[in-house]
Amino acid sequence: MNTQNQNGYMLLFRGNDWIKGLSPEEKQKVTDQWMAWFRRLTDEGKAVAGNPLEREGKIVSGKNRVVSDGPFAESKEAIGGYFLLDVASMDEAVAIAQECPGLPYGVRVEVRPVAPECPVASELKREAEFATV
Amino acid sequence: MLLYRSDEFYNRLSHQELQTLMNENNAWIQRLTAQGKVKPGRALERRGAIVSGKNGRFVTDGPFAESKEAIGGYLLVDVETLDEAIAIAQSIPSLAHGGSIEVRPLAEECPLDVRARELAREEQLVTV
Repeated sequence: MNTQNQNGYMLLFRGNDWIKGLSPEEKQKVTDQWMAWFRRLTDEGKAVAGNPLEREGKIVSGKNRVVSDGPFAESKEAIGGYFLLDVASMDEAVAIAQECPGLPYGVRVEVRPVAPECPVASELKREAEFATV
Repeated sequence: MLLYRSDEFYNRLSHQELQTLMNENNAWIQRLTAQGKVKPGRALERRGAIVSGKNGRFVTDGPFAESKEAIGGYLLVDVETLDEAIAIAQSIPSLAHGGSIEVRPLAEECPLDVRARELAREEQLVTV
């Protein structure tokens, strides 16, 4: 998938339980690698933002806006943090994702192109184009 | 951070419903921006790749756009408490059409760092 995207890409780091079973030295090593990786990408102008997320959180859902606990900390799907990348192609974003120091420990990186606008606005525009044809 | 999770619910809405939602959404974001409570958020394309395995050797398509859990975008809210962030999440207009919002505090520092320090301290205590 070698698509161009001028809006950049987002890396979502998934998996919260991978740290279990690592020795303190290993944990420190991965953390240092991760920080150095982010600093290098920032220096190169390729990372424009990034943040780890606290393990806790809440989910608000549906018409009734019900609040529940989540995500579950031990989930393989839970998101632990993100980077926002200023690179022009999916290939470049995937190549950066492949450098993630958490990968050998089971972290998965979701690579997503940032959209130019909200999908509701795109949908309305598409309808408007149909209407004028 | 507010993470928008939903399927492509907007494909099921009528033109009128879409227009109403768009107007509500614009008014909502303008109000929060005026109050200084939001920083720029972005929508994400409903396609992408998942990289996994040692050295990222597995690259697969994903996430599945039809999944209710797929993340459609995010917004950073600049508030002091989780309760305040939840209240803002509850006022998101698109929730009327389904989906969910994951509300997550940004970590001051990487939880890995914190955990590594805790373990180091525990070990010290043991060896004392």
